[in-house]
Amino acid sequence: MNAQIIGQMAVSGALMGLVYALIAYGFQLTFATSKSINFGQGELVMISAFFSLTLTNLGFPYWAMVPGGLLFGALMGLVVERAGVRLALEQKSEGWILLSIIIGLFFFSAAENIWGRDDRPFPTPISADPIHILGVDVTRLELSVAVGVFAIMGLIELFKRRTLLGKAFEAVSADRDAAELMGISSTRTVMLSYGLSGSVAALAGILVSPITTVGPTMASALILKAFSVAVVAGLDSGFGVVLVGMFLGALESLASFYLGSGWREAPGLILLILALALRPNGVFGKATIRKV
Amino acid sequence: MFRQTLCGLLLVAASGAQAADTVKIALTGPFSGGSAPMGTSARDGSKLAIAEINAAGGIQVGNKKMKIEIIERDDEAKNERGALIAQELAAMSDLSGVIGTVNTGVCLAGDKHLQEKGITKIICPAAGSASMTQWSKAGVKDNSIFRFAAYDGIQAAMVVEEAINRKFTKVAVVFDSTNYGVSGRDDMLEQIKKQGNKLTVVAQEKFNIGDKDMTAQLLRAKSAGAEAILIWAIGPELAAVSNGEAKIGMKAPLIGGWTLSMSNYIDNAGKNGNGTLMPQTFIEEAITPKAKSFIDGYHKAYKVDRIPSAVAAAQGYDALYILAAAVKQAGSTDTKKIKEALEDLKEPVKGVIATWSHPYTKWDPADVTSHEAFRREQVVMGMVKDGRVVFGNDADRARLIKSATSVTPAKTGKTKKK
Amino acid sequence: MKRILLLRGAELVVFAFLATIPLLVVNPYALGLLTLLAIYGILLIGLDVTVGYLGQVNLAHVAFLGLGAYAAGLVVTKLGLGMVPALLAATLVGLVLGGLLALPALRLEGPQFALATLSFAALSTTALNELEALTGGAQGLSLSRPPLFGHALTPPLFYWLCMVLLAVVWMLMRNLLASQWGRAFEALRDSPIATDAMGVGTYKHKVAAFALGSSLGGLAGGLYAFNFQYLQPQSFTYDLMIILLLGVVLGGRKSLWGAFVGATVIVLLPNLLSNRLLFQIFSGLGFAGALAAGVQGLVKKTTRPFQALAPVVAMGLLVVGGLFVENTEDWRKAIFALMLFSVVVGLPEGIMGFLALFLAKLFRVPHAPLPEPADLDTMLPIRPADGSALLVLADLKRYFGGVKAVDGLSMTVRAGTIHGLIGPNGSGKSTVVNVISGLYTPTAGTMQLRGATLPIGSLYSVAQAGVARTFQNLQLFGELTALENVLVALKGVYRNPLPMVLLGLARREERTAQAQALALLELIGLREQALVKAKDLTYGAQRFLEIARALARKPDLLILDEPAAGLAHPDVLQQIEFIQRIHQRGITIILIEHHMDVVSELCDTVTVLDGGRIIAEGTPDEVKRHPKVVEAYLGQPPQPELPGGAEPLPA
Repeated sequence: MNAQIIGQMAVSGALMGLVYALIAYGFQLTFATSKSINFGQGELVMISAFFSLTLTNLGFPYWAMVPGGLLFGALMGLVVERAGVRLALEQKSEGWILLSIIIGLFFFSAAENIWGRDDRPFPTPISADPIHILGVDVTRLELSVAVGVFAIMGLIELFKRRTLLGKAFEAVSADRDAAELMGISSTRTVMLSYGLSGSVAALAGILVSPITTVGPTMASALILKAFSVAVVAGLDSGFGVVLVGMFLGALESLASFYLGSGWREAPGLILLILALALRPNGVFGKATIRKV
Repeated sequence: MFRQTLCGLLLVAASGAQAADTVKIALTGPFSGGSAPMGTSARDGSKLAIAEINAAGGIQVGNKKMKIEIIERDDEAKNERGALIAQELAAMSDLSGVIGTVNTGVCLAGDKHLQEKGITKIICPAAGSASMTQWSKAGVKDNSIFRFAAYDGIQAAMVVEEAINRKFTKVAVVFDSTNYGVSGRDDMLEQIKKQGNKLTVVAQEKFNIGDKDMTAQLLRAKSAGAEAILIWAIGPELAAVSNGEAKIGMKAPLIGGWTLSMSNYIDNAGKNGNGTLMPQTFIEEAITPKAKSFIDGYHKAYKVDRIPSAVAAAQGYDALYILAAAVKQAGSTDTKKIKEALEDLKEPVKGVIATWSHPYTKWDPADVTSHEAFRREQVVMGMVKDGRVVFGNDADRARLIKSATSVTPAKTGKTKKK
Repeated sequence: MKRILLLRGAELVVFAFLATIPLLVVNPYALGLLTLLAIYGILLIGLDVTVGYLGQVNLAHVAFLGLGAYAAGLVVTKLGLGMVPALLAATLVGLVLGGLLALPALRLEGPQFALATLSFAALSTTALNELEALTGGAQGLSLSRPPLFGHALTPPLFYWLCMVLLAVVWMLMRNLLASQWGRAFEALRDSPIATDAMGVGTYKHKVAAFALGSSLGGLAGGLYAFNFQYLQPQSFTYDLMIILLLGVVLGGRKSLWGAFVGATVIVLLPNLLSNRLLFQIFSGLGFAGALAAGVQGLVKKTTRPFQALAPVVAMGLLVVGGLFVENTEDWRKAIFALMLFSVVVGLPEGIMGFLALFLAKLFRVPHAPLPEPADLDTMLPIRPADGSALLVLADLKRYFGGVKAVDGLSMTVRAGTIHGLIGPNGSGKSTVVNVISGLYTPTAGTMQLRGATLPIGSLYSVAQAGVARTFQNLQLFGELTALENVLVALKGVYRNPLPMVLLGLARREERTAQAQALALLELIGLREQALVKAKDLTYGAQRFLEIARALARKPDLLILDEPAAGLAHPDVLQQIEFIQRIHQRGITIILIEHHMDVVSELCDTVTVLDGGRIIAEGTPDEVKRHPKVVEAYLGQPPQPELPGGAEPLPA
């Protein structure tokens, strides 16, 4: 019984952790090109989910709704880039932190008034009935999260490696100034990264909504954890976020089982501070040599 | 900086200087954030009543009809905002009364400012026991704070009673980490003791606002052999509990506070929510013409096809009519006179929940029910069935129809104590 | 004098005005808001220490507010003590926990620092919520305001208490931030490496800044507890933190006034926005202001188009939206967001940053006059050049993975000489310097300074031992003026302990320090630009300033890392002259340089490195003709006729 419970806890937690990882991946995309992240990413997750819900309610089938949602997410990502990030980056100031928070606040309030303050179910053709694998109950919905997360991360990584635009992306990530000299527009690449990041956020919203419901506050708890995952794994760690995300998810589950549910987050937080103190650039991040 | 301060001061000064040809009523509550469905429903229920009263020309105050003017304040479910709003309202010299507040913490932080100035407030729909017991603990002689909600004491008693009636012996107590959840836990534990320890609490589980994965809590309850889950929480996390049960193949029904009737539970739990039981003061079912006109009116005015929190809306609606009746009886917009009228309402008030006859009596520090409108009789057990709340048993339904059409028995002072 | 009168006068007027309000207005609501304003003022001044001066996004401040509030609450309810011990306990909790948190957070910056502090905040909320026996958990802690010295604190009295504390905090912080401490905090923000290398000690100052800011958070928390008299853990969460952060940035960083203005905005704005008429007035005024500023900016081309247009669009949206939206209360957060957006985009320096510029222009506030430069001979006495061994390196090695950047280097630098260190790119020169100065830990080998073992792996300890350095890639404190850059590094003047500094009793030594710093600036010809921010100096001047700053350490050994890199020819000549002046004072110099003319002109001895090893050593002329050197530089055996002296070798 005990081993089975541990297994159940670890698996459920790790699957939730994949959502953290996906949002964390969105942070990485923009950090790579611009060294900035959108502090209002949670609101992108939320409004994209609401928009997708509207599409569904308008009668779009699931397969048409998903690309529609992703497109909307990308669009909103571009809005954040244009309104909140570009100016600050040009001025080399840290204003993007505040501006992205402020834009998120605006999105939040708009969503409250457009879609209502209530949490709502998100219809999906995927069944929520549990299936039994090796003594552990997993729902198809949870498995769909895993599939979706790996699919989009795989696609984006392929895109970065195989296409010309993707290579430009990699070039700007590696060395912005050198890429500029080679005629690659870093502004456009940053736009691209924010668009992709918005899509990733939208997908996270679409995947997680059937499990957690859609509502204005749906992402506020998710986003802090995603941020932790991104930083602990390292903001340039690539697939490292997946491991850290699953680990953190499982740890939370186990902690709430063994320590009591109120202390659910405590071990994760303590580990996080320690991990940062020992490896400031993240567990999977590249260590940098201080040069002067 | 100066300009802003000055503006603020001018505003405060100006608001005191306006001519008094309206009845000023403040509606407060969380209109944004997680508790907003309850806050906006209660507010909109009250506004519906105000629209009806104003359409009929207003309230008869003395020899003239006065319309109701609304002052709205969003407390964001934050204690600090609640305290500031209460201070602001307390400083208004011509305010007749306040209706609102969802969060018990906001009551605890803010109501003292109103009470100090003797401003009449009807708490609605915050149900946490502490918002009224703080006054009996402090032993105040004269209290201007009333409540119009089935307070947790009643609800917890009903929940425990229901579990015993259904022959459960082992239960898990599950609650969220807010003030509401924790005080609900205390009430339930106290009631279990009071009702003869017929239930064994095999697990006490807590979760945070925003938690969507309840596997850990449920597995512990399951392995301890819980047959039912007594639950106290706000909001959509409740649905996560039902869905989590389905996932791990657990069949213990949920019995808990009235928030289980909110759409964000029912919709999100879907078929997993069937069989969930909760005390209700109002069920969105047109059982009487009055209820039908209220429900239709709400749907039409706010362009929804279901009230986010029907209980909160109905309570907001009735609370306003009761306050209006007190204004009429007092023949004055003076909040202190209104308070006195409230403590001794002569005429029964026809509400959507019931017909209220003498809902409040003179404040007695030894008995908070003197300022509580709801009695056990006005509360029924509701049950979730296929996405709606229906009556848990038909006898209740018949009783409610009767109570809404006839007059509720007048209060006889210290009949019930928590 | 005019300046002092204006600045102190403004403070006095505002505080006097605020103090008389309870006598004029009896509105408890207005008084409640003003009390909160005073509390938030203290809170934001504390936050500004980390956000403004240290330049780090600190998300833990709200936790210190909460912990302070609970500390005060528990002291009153559980221990039954009075107001004074409660407030002391609140402050102490902030101080101690702030210091403790600074330890792991010490190595972090940017997003990592933000996350570490965020985690701490989340942890403390969890703890407050879960320790039900102590804190009452989610059900909160009710307390009553204890009397102060036997007087029951009515709202006006409590307001005065808060105001008095704000004024005290204000004065102490003003003194501190204008002192060497405040400069050190700012130096840390601009370049932690240089701060350490100037012997200031990032460790001590980061912990101090954090503990100090947090203790103010704790104090504000204590007042918060007595103001609301009811505490719940969920009051102190991320939401409030974001508002506080916005307050600091809106008001203007690095400014007491800014913190005060920020507090005003975040306290009053949400309350004022509840009123529809006031909202319309505000949005109308805002729109007009944004339009005027935008048009002016565009015509004069002082702002970018986006910066001019975005606030106009945002405020326009507010005005238009205000006409359509029935219930502004529902849209409160969006309104707040649009207003904040306009201010952050339109006034990047915050409201106070903008006003300060404007007011300074309006009243023509001059800078306080500077003292006459000190006598260079007294502050930097000429040392005898006895030629004894000053720095001895023996078999020094530093490997990076498989790369042997320095591979068994032995070298002696003699007192009073200029010792050149040259070599092609990648030969290990910079690594040697970084090992000596403590940035890197050597893989093997020993280093001795005047016979004593040199500390390893710590810029700070090496700097304390008497070695100062400059940086090839400039590491100036950009936001500080030239004078302040030198003051930060100045050794042997600042002796007054912290309490004296806080009380503003350290003015005399500040004058002495200024005089000495000016003497150093005069030495390198920058006296006239003493009050220019380092980032606004010309490139040449920045290079010179680095030397002046290093000299302020009054070092035994001065390491100049490519002091002429990137300089135009006239500047190179100037630089040579400055280095000679320094040399004349008997200071030993290690010079890393590419310009061969500089090396030949200045150096007594030259060591040539290639592949991490010494390939030649001797006088410049000897070295220049050394076959291995020529080969290393040109990749071919020496030609019989090599142009000597003035031409730089290609590198």
